[in-house]
Amino acid sequence: MPDPAVGDLGPEALAYADALHNLARYLTGNDTDAEDLVQETYSRALGSAGQFTPGTNLKAWLFRILRNTFISQYRRQRGNPTVGGLDTVAPIGYGPADVGRAKDEVELDRLRKVMAEEIERALMMLAEDARTVILLDLEGLTEVEVAHVLGCAVGTVKSRLFRARAALRALLKDWKR
Amino acid sequence: MDCHDVRDHLLDFQRGQLGGDVATEVRRHIDGCVECAQADLVERELTLLLERRTPQYPAPIGLKRRLMARWPSAPGAGAPTARRPWPRVLVPAALAAAVLLLLVPVTFQLLSPHSQATAVMVSEAVNDHVRLLQSQHPLEVESSGIHQVIPWFTGKLDFAPGIRFAGDDEFPLRGGAVGYFVDRKAAAFVFGRRLHTISLFVFKAEGLSWPTSGLEHLGREEIYQSSARGFNVLLWREGELGYVLVSDVNAQDLKLLAAKLSP
Repeated sequence: MPDPAVGDLGPEALAYADALHNLARYLTGNDTDAEDLVQETYSRALGSAGQFTPGTNLKAWLFRILRNTFISQYRRQRGNPTVGGLDTVAPIGYGPADVGRAKDEVELDRLRKVMAEEIERALMMLAEDARTVILLDLEGLTEVEVAHVLGCAVGTVKSRLFRARAALRALLKDWKR
Repeated sequence: MDCHDVRDHLLDFQRGQLGGDVATEVRRHIDGCVECAQADLVERELTLLLERRTPQYPAPIGLKRRLMARWPSAPGAGAPTARRPWPRVLVPAALAAAVLLLLVPVTFQLLSPHSQATAVMVSEAVNDHVRLLQSQHPLEVESSGIHQVIPWFTGKLDFAPGIRFAGDDEFPLRGGAVGYFVDRKAAAFVFGRRLHTISLFVFKAEGLSWPTSGLEHLGREEIYQSSARGFNVLLWREGELGYVLVSDVNAQDLKLLAAKLSP
């Protein structure tokens, strides 16, 4: 028997289906798995609705369930663990080559010509945690909310986002068209 | 505050999340450091790019219906039903559909590079439309008056996005925004059609692989019609400018608007 509070969450929870599906699509890389992941997310949310604290962020709570479901089921099932990950990426340095004006101007010019499909390809090449932090940030979640989704400290979100954006910029900059 | 500190704070600075003193220091450093000023521009461009061009994948309608049916007391809810076998009469149709689905990728691979380029244009048009709909402020200028909307683009684009239709009761103009089409900036005009939204992107046509076959005459122009992910798309070129209409309204309604835009 579902918790009586479950029904109250319904309309608001279902309003996040588009955002959840978008993240699911970028995590799984295909439509079928994305739909399955979203269905499983709502199924788990339904089963644990009693654990949701009214007044807290429902969207972040659902994102957290979705990501945990992805990690616990899809990634292992498909034998597709994230290789490396952000924590294995060397810290970004600012040597002379990193702050060259001409280099930045070329990068700026290149970024202005990037197409949608190139962004998607570049995102899919990032490690899962890097991709997730960029997409959650894009969804408008605050650092505190992203930290809740990822289960890490707020300071970690900041550094992950910093490195993820740098990695994305590097991929887009070097893209061969 | 040196370059390293500024780069660490750049994103927070751009989002107005720094305290007054720190923000002032970052501002002062950027004003006096060419490299950090350039890095600031690059970071802002990346944000703009992600916000405006990242392909979006909203939940399909079928998935939403299934979710609504399973969620107690949600609109349209009901108890989950056991899966029933397909009616026997539908099995041959399902098999035919499955074969068709298997052939689709093969067909796509057989398309000429030109047709693939056109398919990319259609796909980009849908992405740009969806992104516009999902942005928090889809309209940067909200007005039903074409003489308010067109002048608003002055200085924001390197071409004049003139259109000949000012909106009417059937297709009211809602406003405009600077958008993107493929690799270039575009003027995005938004029209209504009952409860539906129609995006019109106007952009410089040069350098794109415009379709050369499958065109149909409409008004003074030859128009290419296609659809992707449930959206109808019309493409045409008029002199140096390209025009793309995208919406979930039916193709006939979209052609009605195209005829008004290109009488």
